[in-house]
Amino acid sequence: MERRSLIRGAGAAAMAGALPAAPAIAQGAAARTLRVVPQANLTSLDPIWTTAVVTRNHGFMVYDQLCAQDAQGEIKPQMAEGWTTENDGRDTTFTLRTGLKFHDGEPVRAADCVASMRRWAARDTFGQVLWQRVDAVEALDDRRFRVRLKQRFPLLLLALGQTQFPCFIMPERIAATDPFQQTREAIGSGPFRFVRDEWNPGQRAVWARNEAYVPRQEPVDGLAGGRVPRIERVEWTIITDPATAANAMTTGEQDYWELPLHDLLPLLRRSRDLVVQQRLLEGTYAICRFNHLHPPFDNVAVRRAIAMAVDQRDYMRAVAGNEKDGWETCEGVFTCGTALANESGSEVLKVRNVERAKAALREAGYANQRVVLIAPGDYPQINAISMVTADLLQRLGMNLELVSTDWGTLVQRRASREPVERGGWSMIHTTSSGQALTLPVFHLFLRANGPNAWFGWPTDAEIEKLRAAWLDADDAAEARLVGEALNRRAMEVLPYIPLGFYWQPSVWRRNVTGVFRAPATVFWNMGKA
Amino acid sequence: MFAYIVRRVLATIPVMAIVALFVFSLLYIAPGDPAAVIAGDQATPDDVERIRQSLGLDRPFLVRFGEWVFRIVRGDLGVSIFTNLPVSTMIAQRVQPTLSLMVLTLILAVSIAVPMGVVAAWRQGTLVDRAVMGFAVLGFSVPVFVVGYVLAYIFALELDWLPVQGYTSLDQGFFPWLENLILPSIALGGVYIALIARITRATMLEVLQQDYIRTARAKGAGQGSILFLHALKNAAVPIVTVIGIGVALLIGGAVVTESVFAIPGLGRLTVDAILRRDYPVIQGVILLFSFVYVLVNLLIDILYTLIDPRIRY
Repeated sequence: MERRSLIRGAGAAAMAGALPAAPAIAQGAAARTLRVVPQANLTSLDPIWTTAVVTRNHGFMVYDQLCAQDAQGEIKPQMAEGWTTENDGRDTTFTLRTGLKFHDGEPVRAADCVASMRRWAARDTFGQVLWQRVDAVEALDDRRFRVRLKQRFPLLLLALGQTQFPCFIMPERIAATDPFQQTREAIGSGPFRFVRDEWNPGQRAVWARNEAYVPRQEPVDGLAGGRVPRIERVEWTIITDPATAANAMTTGEQDYWELPLHDLLPLLRRSRDLVVQQRLLEGTYAICRFNHLHPPFDNVAVRRAIAMAVDQRDYMRAVAGNEKDGWETCEGVFTCGTALANESGSEVLKVRNVERAKAALREAGYANQRVVLIAPGDYPQINAISMVTADLLQRLGMNLELVSTDWGTLVQRRASREPVERGGWSMIHTTSSGQALTLPVFHLFLRANGPNAWFGWPTDAEIEKLRAAWLDADDAAEARLVGEALNRRAMEVLPYIPLGFYWQPSVWRRNVTGVFRAPATVFWNMGKA
Repeated sequence: MFAYIVRRVLATIPVMAIVALFVFSLLYIAPGDPAAVIAGDQATPDDVERIRQSLGLDRPFLVRFGEWVFRIVRGDLGVSIFTNLPVSTMIAQRVQPTLSLMVLTLILAVSIAVPMGVVAAWRQGTLVDRAVMGFAVLGFSVPVFVVGYVLAYIFALELDWLPVQGYTSLDQGFFPWLENLILPSIALGGVYIALIARITRATMLEVLQQDYIRTARAKGAGQGSILFLHALKNAAVPIVTVIGIGVALLIGGAVVTESVFAIPGLGRLTVDAILRRDYPVIQGVILLFSFVYVLVNLLIDILYTLIDPRIRY
């Protein structure tokens, strides 16, 4: 039954049929529009300039990729009709499909792809690794371009088709923008075009079906296959309050909620009109990061003592509660269930004993140095795992200073390399998509190259050596062996502590059709009954 | 009078200048870095620094402040760091929802609170008086967001009468516009009604003791005429004052109300900008709020002269 509209009803009665067609029009528009509550406010439109996931999701609607990951993580052609490899794997020639057009009506040319790849490679970690091996990228004609490598690099397709920081194809004139400057237009060749006139950051963002889009003929499979825009409009409404978003889903004012808060899932499941399901292919991984530059966590024995006390189940319950299938432990550095996942040397995470950890801490020579743990109060999941660690440190008898702040302050303060007496920090927590932890090439927390590593700045030559060895591995078996060695070494020196992962379901109205599992939230193939 | 208005308008200039300096300095020393937010987790320190440079955030305080002031005096509030949109455009997109919410709340609050206060004073010590004062205490004590959730639960989820969230522009019709604003206005109006009702009651009690009220009664004036023509008119100055002061309450309350009901107004724009450290937007919105507050106070002062002809400036 449709929601009764008190005021509109009263108004309509008062105006005695002055607005007879309005409800029908409104219903028709609603049927052709997928109304979505996204995970965050869309503030920037350039998915190369910022790494914000919400901007990447916008990117998937507006832009297309040369190749993309299917549900099994395999790379399949997308804009590319195909590719050929020559010269002992050093030259790869891509051929574009026919009929591809940008939203401004211009055809997609090989030169656009080359310029887009250049801009992307300047910002993405994987792209940078690839570009070090690139000799030249050149357009051969309007439909073909060639990537010439200095040496064989089997990860070329994975780099171009990855989901974490995708290589989106833009018109050459836009891709020529400095990668550190934001582009001023959102023109791609993807299945939806951005309706800029209706963009009100903080309220609404709208995309309309790209009528000229030519999807692939294969069925949708992860991000591969036919990206068919079945719905006329996709409309994001920014609702920052989770309770309000839940109410809007229940009353039918919204059709799809990307990331509902775990606390609200039982309530949402009780509604017969809603479907609560896992849509993203990988979970969200929790991470505890040490500052390796200063005491006490410059001492590996102290880090290991903390790891001995960690019980991933406590962390996951703090985020996702006791919900069945809501979370899992994963006592290794690579995403569980993926090719490199292993637990070599992970015994330290299976101790789960505070008393033994206390003894280890004493043996490590912990001298009651102050531990500054920064927790972001406005980020419920990260705040929850931070609180578990705070409790753990107190139980271990450490000299803890818990700093509760907002995420904006945390991201600035975590960049400080000063000791805690001068505004520095000792411990922070974060979360990461499982996607980002599948391979060493973009696994941020496995970098151990000192000043160039992620915040916390661990230094370990062995980890760096193994990362390089993985890049040069000849086959999957060799890569797997390197992965095991990496896990072993990481558990020995502990650049960070993995804290398990939780599943982040999405919610949609029962009349939403064509929902499929994918590594990112995308809206092609979806419609409304 | 005209000279007074000109003097007051001119006096807003140094006030706004001080606000501008204060806001800019506060943001300069406050922790947070938009470049780090933009760069995200993958960025190296060099990437963050390059973004900071491209945004001009690496330049000295005085240079940045000077540039900002120079732009402001030309009416240019700058460009949002994140959206690349002019701040004035972003404010313009958000003015209507906030203004609608505030005006509707104001109308609702004044039309409910003043009669409530008058009746409570008239029936001092009775059940009606206690009920009004009880409501006032409740209005002060219960946070806006609690009232908002309760209203949404009853009228949207249970009764299914009104929408849970959102805002419909006035261009799309008066009733859709009103439908979206009823619950937020009631939620926001609670504390405002309480404030005005209490002041009205207190002032009316004082006025009702005056000799001229006794005289009016002796002359046979009706109760309504005594309360609303003789007493309320003379009690109006403090009531108008508190209505003006309450605008600050409304501005503060609008931030929470807009979040609870997902209204895309200036309050949410401010909070979002603060969380991301979008400095030009924060500066622009706070300047606007300060200007509005100064302007409201000026209007209140002018209103005094209309309500009470004895007041001269």
